[in-house]
Amino acid sequence: MSSPEELLRIEGVRKAFPGVVALDDVDFDLRRGEVHVLLGENGAGKSTLIKVLSGAHRPDEGRILVEGREVVIRDAQDAAGLGIATIYQEFNLVPDVTVAENIFLGRQPRRFGFVDTKRMEAEAAELLERVGVDVAPGAKVRGLGIAQLQMVEIAKALSLDAKVLIMDEPTAVLTTEEVERLFTIARRLRGEGVGLVFITHHLEEIADLGDRVTVLRDGRSVAHVAASEPEDELVRLMVGRSIDEQYPRERPEPGETLLKVRGLTRSGVFEDIDLDVRAGEVVGLAGLVGAGRTEVARAVFGADPYDSGSVEVIGDRLPGGDVGAALGAGLGLVPEDRKGQGLVLDASVEENLGLVTLGPSSRGGFVDLSGQRSSATRIAGELAIRMAHIGQHVRTLSGGNQQKVVIGKWLLAESRVLVLDEPTRGVDAGAKVEIYRLVNELTASGHAVLMISSDLPEVLGMSDRILVMAQGRVTGELSAEEATQDSVMSLAVAANPGTSTEENEVEGR
Amino acid sequence: MPTDTAKSGGTWPVVRRFLLDNGALTALAVLVVFMSLLSDDFLTAQNLLNVGVQAAVIAVLAFGVTFVIISGGIDLSVGSVAALSATMLAWLATVEGVPVYLAVPLAAATGTAAGLVNGALVAYGKLPPFIATLAMLSIGRGLSLVISEGSPIALPDSVARLGDSLGGWLPVPVLIMVVMGLITAVILRRTFAGRAMYAIGGNEEAARLSGIRVKRHKLGVYALSGLFAAVAGVILASRLASAQPQAAQGYELDAIAAVVIGGASLAGGVGTASGTLIGALILAVLRNGLNLLSVSAFWQQVVIGVVIALAVLFDTVRRRSGSGGAGTGGGAGAAGGSGGRGRRLAVLGGAAAVTALIVGALSFLTPDSSSEGPRVGMSVSTLNNPFFLQMRDGAEEEAADAGVDLVVTDAQDDPSQQADQIENFVSTGVDTMVLNPVDSDAVGPPVRGANNADIPVIAADRGVNDAETEALVTSDNVEGGRLAAQVLAEEIGEEGRIAVLQGTPGASASRERGEGFSEGIAEYGDIEVVAEQPADFDRTRGLDVMTNMLQANGDIDAVFAENDEMALGASAALSDAGEEAVVVGFDGTPEGFEAVEQGTLFATIAQQPAELGRVAVRNAIDAARGESVEEDVRVPVEIVTEDNVDDFS
Repeated sequence: MSSPEELLRIEGVRKAFPGVVALDDVDFDLRRGEVHVLLGENGAGKSTLIKVLSGAHRPDEGRILVEGREVVIRDAQDAAGLGIATIYQEFNLVPDVTVAENIFLGRQPRRFGFVDTKRMEAEAAELLERVGVDVAPGAKVRGLGIAQLQMVEIAKALSLDAKVLIMDEPTAVLTTEEVERLFTIARRLRGEGVGLVFITHHLEEIADLGDRVTVLRDGRSVAHVAASEPEDELVRLMVGRSIDEQYPRERPEPGETLLKVRGLTRSGVFEDIDLDVRAGEVVGLAGLVGAGRTEVARAVFGADPYDSGSVEVIGDRLPGGDVGAALGAGLGLVPEDRKGQGLVLDASVEENLGLVTLGPSSRGGFVDLSGQRSSATRIAGELAIRMAHIGQHVRTLSGGNQQKVVIGKWLLAESRVLVLDEPTRGVDAGAKVEIYRLVNELTASGHAVLMISSDLPEVLGMSDRILVMAQGRVTGELSAEEATQDSVMSLAVAANPGTSTEENEVEGR
Repeated sequence: MPTDTAKSGGTWPVVRRFLLDNGALTALAVLVVFMSLLSDDFLTAQNLLNVGVQAAVIAVLAFGVTFVIISGGIDLSVGSVAALSATMLAWLATVEGVPVYLAVPLAAATGTAAGLVNGALVAYGKLPPFIATLAMLSIGRGLSLVISEGSPIALPDSVARLGDSLGGWLPVPVLIMVVMGLITAVILRRTFAGRAMYAIGGNEEAARLSGIRVKRHKLGVYALSGLFAAVAGVILASRLASAQPQAAQGYELDAIAAVVIGGASLAGGVGTASGTLIGALILAVLRNGLNLLSVSAFWQQVVIGVVIALAVLFDTVRRRSGSGGAGTGGGAGAAGGSGGRGRRLAVLGGAAAVTALIVGALSFLTPDSSSEGPRVGMSVSTLNNPFFLQMRDGAEEEAADAGVDLVVTDAQDDPSQQADQIENFVSTGVDTMVLNPVDSDAVGPPVRGANNADIPVIAADRGVNDAETEALVTSDNVEGGRLAAQVLAEEIGEEGRIAVLQGTPGASASRERGEGFSEGIAEYGDIEVVAEQPADFDRTRGLDVMTNMLQANGDIDAVFAENDEMALGASAALSDAGEEAVVVGFDGTPEGFEAVEQGTLFATIAQQPAELGRVAVRNAIDAARGESVEEDVRVPVEIVTEDNVDDFS
């Protein structure tokens, strides 16, 4: 019943957790030398399915066959023994150890009981060349960029002779250029007979790389289709309804200038940044990862210091490096790392929504508990945050709803200028549109929005004006009408005569 | 499908839910039930108040630590800061004559200042909290020794009254504990500072980006912890009527244990005042109960460790099952539920089994009461030292010969634990008591309690100040020090360079032996004491300190160590360095005699600890039978050298 080309087959798998059925009667199969895309909204069961394959969860029912043989995968060792390697969104790398040691972690080649560093680094160099990444095997992992980290993970998987390579949203954090490089490597591996399971939220990548698509919805495998299926149809399968409009931007007439940045400079990071955002306007900040966009946003907000320049919010000049002053003036930041910087994950929705207003609303040091609760309940309703109750921990919300909580806390603080850093990263298609609508409502009510995004269609679709950054400088400004993917990209890779930075800074830390 | 799970268990899921939701409270309830089943003395109003008093110091310290742990830090310095604040209070009020209404705020300010330093190091110096507060642990302890010059300082009566009871029944420490608990709860639940602690502990960066001034809040958190430590220090000192520079050693770990047992996470962001109170009560009930049950002092420590682990395990199970239920709310599957439930039940079952095991062990470890004679309680300063072990053995022999029940407890060199043990003896109604005080001043107030209950007290080895004892059974330490000086001087020809290893700073044995030795050695003009350093009666410390002394002073002709343990350490250091010197010890422990026999020690001043124990118990029995006893009983000390060692070992 299985062809020799079949690497992996899953039949009728079911996995339930207390209160939730995560997987229900899921079928899936993977052939040698193909890229099989797993598609589904957040919470559809993709992660659980991966964890079943990597041994983190054991299914309650159903069968898993590897090369036609039924297997039980108890843990990561079992999975590795069967040739299944998984690259998660959060990398499993030890930061202060060399690349070579990370690749061979726990399996370092040994001589006389000691680690044979020379041989290990030679083998690592070979693997790194195979994935086409220019990293020294002796380099510490801590200094690497996200794309490089991913390549190290792939090299690690190859060192295990993986026949099945599972990649959980590998492109979410990559720039267009890096995505292209990843795809080149993926195609090469496919040519070598490796089967790839590929998870993505970017529909346009499916036709580009994929061969077949399995769509998961509410824990069930609802469709197996070819990767050439039109995007609209894929969306319909995924959300169970069609999304009429992907980017529902309405553009109101802009008002007065609310955020005015002049000559903002931090030596070695960004230089001479000018930007204005007016009431009712969405200004997109585009560029490659490492261009300095997040750094600018954090400096504007006072989260990091800057060397020179000025930031004005609604006419008030802000002191540098002072978050309190920035939010007092009406500025709000939705950081790119939602879980790490935006939310207290083990606190309730109510507490997270009230985080900014907690101090200002307290009287004589005492918190206005009932006031906090009623305003949190009101804003949660307005933003249609899907939750069991206001006391639910935000850790258990989906990505889109978590992002609404982060935005909601600034709305409660009545911030008029919002800086959104990658607001839809890791958010599924349905929730993305909800966030876009929210942005529309904000601008319609006179807010100003500065939006950083690495998702080009999103920048093009949602911005009224687009500033493009490269190597710490603004290389150009485009209006919504004149901007195209090509014009933005050519500015984003523009050589910058003023700086001589050789490698891109790594975004975040 | 969802109804399936609800139906299957009847009322059991509800009960289980409650137990799991209140892990620490359940553990406390279980403990109380077992203790009252095992001991008739446990569930009396007086004893429960004792438990409250005994919990008070740790609880107040733990409330302070709760703030720190919730905000994601740790504070190891609270024990030292408590001792420092208490010492400050006593020194200001007693030595410097500052009025009490000024001295008390100044003591509080001392604790707060220590906390501010911690906070500044953590928030602005970016030191890991563990390191910053570890440094303060040492600094605080050192400063309190400096201020007090190593000796306990008596507290003015008005402050000592804080250790008494209101209206004759409500102990002030319990009242303070309750008030501080309420303050903690209000701060944590209702104030901006408190809510900010949870946010900072949950996600510091998110808190900072939401406009919470993280550094300033951290400063406040550690200052608050320091202030609470100062309050705890004052309660502790008031119970003992004196400020002990060595008080509250190791209390930081008890406080942290109480916070964690109470459900807080060391990762930060979680914790409550009520949980911490329950945690502190669990520790106090356990210590009190084990005292009442006369469980062997060594086993007590094992049991306490097991209970801490169990209580936290309980809570971990609770949290794991809690997170499972908070999903997005799909249909609950019977198959899925049973797997997780099975495991949780297994853990619960395991916990129950271990509890049963402990209870079984407790009843096994509890000696049977068989005799008709008087019941004797004996609190020994520490059983971590062969000298006191011999004293205990002598006491037990005498008790066995006389056919009376003897209960021995180990105060672990902590005056406040000893106070607890004396109170527990009083409430279990022993007929007489032998007391080997950790500190003569500190033991005063609890012994007055025994006086009030008409229980005769015999002091052994060290005296009791400000309370009545029927007899004091001692070796003459001052005389011993003099003898040591004499034998040492003669051996080196009455001239040369000598070093002295002192005992724990402030301990009375160290003071007296040192005093005797100084007097004795002063008679020899050609002998120079080139170094004098404390090594805490500890062999390893003796080795280290001796090594350092040799490094600093070169050739040394003789060493006097205030006990045999340090003397053995010193002789090891000498032989490591290839040096030879005359070493004289004190105590006459079996190892000390052996060393004298082999020539490693030149001499030791032999006390007869077993004899001390025997004589003390004999006197206690006599006192309990209403016979008159001699007030000052001296057990002779003798110089032991190679010539006469065979008579002793």
